Amino acid sequence: MRWRVVQMVARTAFLEFWRSPAAVFWTYGFPLMMAVVLGFAFQPSPPKPVPIAVVEAPGANAVFQSLQSSKRLAVEMLSPELADEALARGRIALLIKVDVDGPVLRSDPTRPEAELAHLLVHRALRDARQGEVAMARIEVEDRPGSRYIDFLIPGLIGLNLLGAGMWGVGFNLVQMRVQNLLRRIFVTPMRRSEFLAGYLLGRSVLVIPEAVAILLFGVLMWGVPFRGSYMAAMLVIVIGGWTFTGIGVLCASRARTIETIGGLMNAVQLPMWILGGSFFANEALEGPVRWVAECLPLTHVNRALRDVMLEPGTLADIWMPLSFLAAGGVLCFAAAMRLFRWQ
Amino acid sequence: MSSSAIDGVPAIELRALRKTYKLRRTETVAVDGLDLVVNRGEVFGLLGPNGAGKTTTVEICEGLTIPDSGTVSILGRQWGQGEDHAIRARIGVCLQETKFHENANVREVLSLFRSCFDQGRSVDEALALVSLEEKQDARQKSLSGGQRQRLAVATALLGDPELLFLDEPTTGLDPQSRRQLWSVVRDYQAAGGTVLLTTHYMEEAQQLCDRVAIVDRGKIIALDSPADLIKSLAAEHFILIDGEQSPSDEDLLAVPEVVAVERQTERIVLTVESVRGALPLLLQIFSARGIEIDGLSTRHATLEDVFVDLTGQSLRDGEDQ
Ligand SMILES: Nc1ncnc2c1ncn2[C@@H]1O[C@H](COP(=O)(O)OP(=O)(O)O)[C@@H](O)[C@H]1O
Ligand SMILES: [Mg+2]
Repeated sequence: MRWRVVQMVARTAFLEFWRSPAAVFWTYGFPLMMAVVLGFAFQPSPPKPVPIAVVEAPGANAVFQSLQSSKRLAVEMLSPELADEALARGRIALLIKVDVDGPVLRSDPTRPEAELAHLLVHRALRDARQGEVAMARIEVEDRPGSRYIDFLIPGLIGLNLLGAGMWGVGFNLVQMRVQNLLRRIFVTPMRRSEFLAGYLLGRSVLVIPEAVAILLFGVLMWGVPFRGSYMAAMLVIVIGGWTFTGIGVLCASRARTIETIGGLMNAVQLPMWILGGSFFANEALEGPVRWVAECLPLTHVNRALRDVMLEPGTLADIWMPLSFLAAGGVLCFAAAMRLFRWQ
Repeated sequence: MSSSAIDGVPAIELRALRKTYKLRRTETVAVDGLDLVVNRGEVFGLLGPNGAGKTTTVEICEGLTIPDSGTVSILGRQWGQGEDHAIRARIGVCLQETKFHENANVREVLSLFRSCFDQGRSVDEALALVSLEEKQDARQKSLSGGQRQRLAVATALLGDPELLFLDEPTTGLDPQSRRQLWSVVRDYQAAGGTVLLTTHYMEEAQQLCDRVAIVDRGKIIALDSPADLIKSLAAEHFILIDGEQSPSDEDLLAVPEVVAVERQTERIVLTVESVRGALPLLLQIFSARGIEIDGLSTRHATLEDVFVDLTGQSLRDGEDQ
């Protein structure tokens, strides 16, 4: 391998990406937008009060008042007809009728808030009878490090390494094959190894700033903690990026049309999107599905990232997933070297 | 040129070359038992209609396509015998159709290709060879067809090759771009280079090539210098007479110099041994019959006529010229 050739190929691959505004937007802009939107969507907030109604009747007022003292209930007093309609339409989770024997609770058990409403009403009435208005305080879990957004940001970085690594090289390589550029390169004294190494290099350096952007964004905007080693995090990003780029090159090593490579990459990425642990913890999975999840490189990227961000992890804690990833990358590169076709 | 240019072996030697393509049930014979020797220092043209097998032949020479049978020797070496890298370092290739990186400019494309040659000419030299200095910062999309093609030729010249392959280098180009490329080829030849080019433009073959092989259906049906190919025709001149009416074939063939008569709509084309000898007699026949002549022209035979004579088909195949 001649380093100057590798360098030139890398430079060309890099510039080809950098000068294409659409590619830059979809790899840098889009994931950041996703981080914003998901961040807002999963902002921790106090639970909304559960809407319930008391039917107008003699003696209903006392019940109404004791329920009103509960902060977690939104109570209103309604006529029997209106109350029935509100329950039927799902505007309230529970309806309370007061007759001579006391209050009767009515609800639609298929509605998830019904259970909660029952519980809250029971507690409110019990507390009122004991003359205590105070509710047991319900705490909202909102300390940095344990919110969903904290879990999500490392997952998004992982997904992004996956997407950028694979789409970035896959399409581009096949495009080069379709437009006869690979054949043109083949008839020069450029070696396959020089071309592939340069290509891999030029593309995998691209994923680093992008992953760092999401990371910074998560830390600065959502207060996602960074408790572990920066070095280790960088290493996860670099090695993860290299592994996914390697998978992309492998996928593109034989595909002859854009449609083929598109389908192939979707097929490879879909299991990782679902089982790779970006959106939910795949440690909770069981049986064969779990084994599959454990074999996915994304699982290990995400796990390693969470170890160094959410916990005070260092290189010593993540060397296992890292070596798994690096080995995967080397394997893909070696396979691509064998399988790669110029035409 | 490196010193090995003077060693004895021909630049290209093809023996009994055969290549078939199988697509589902149908089998296409692209190259059908082709023999060819291209000597050092000559510009050799493969002339033939679309689908004749020119590209397949050239790509076999370039090591891009593997023949079913036959032998290929490029600068005295064979593909697939551990010398591929050495051959590639000494040849320059311009494929029939290549698009370079969309977002790369001319200089960057050349730098990329330059990097893989251990020896060769500088990017600036290559730019000057094809007169693209002013366009060196332009990206692919802003180049005209002629400029793209010149860039493709420049990439082929970067390694200072002994042997240059040009597959339809001027197809689709305007006459001016075509002439520019011809002069690049002539300069390359003047510096000692050997060229194998394909074309379906007879004018190009006539202007540029020292020798031409006329290819049809994967076979070489004639091979000689353009001038000698034309001389091989029974008669080298044509008289074209336009008019609504015309004398009968017998009357026309009665003129001793007339070799053949071809009738087109409102035009007859006479193949004659000499225009000066045939024309007065022909005019006499027309005036004796009282037939009016709307137009009259003469032309010298071209390689196109050689092709028509050999195959009974037109070379251009409905293509623009
Ligand atoms: N890759 C291929 N697969 C199938 N048929 C092919 C392929 N390449 C060329 N052919 C066929 O081989 C014949 C010769 O093609 P080609 O060498 O490209 O001719 P030319 O360059 O003279 O136009 C044509 O009939 C063409 O359709
Ligand atoms: Mg062709």
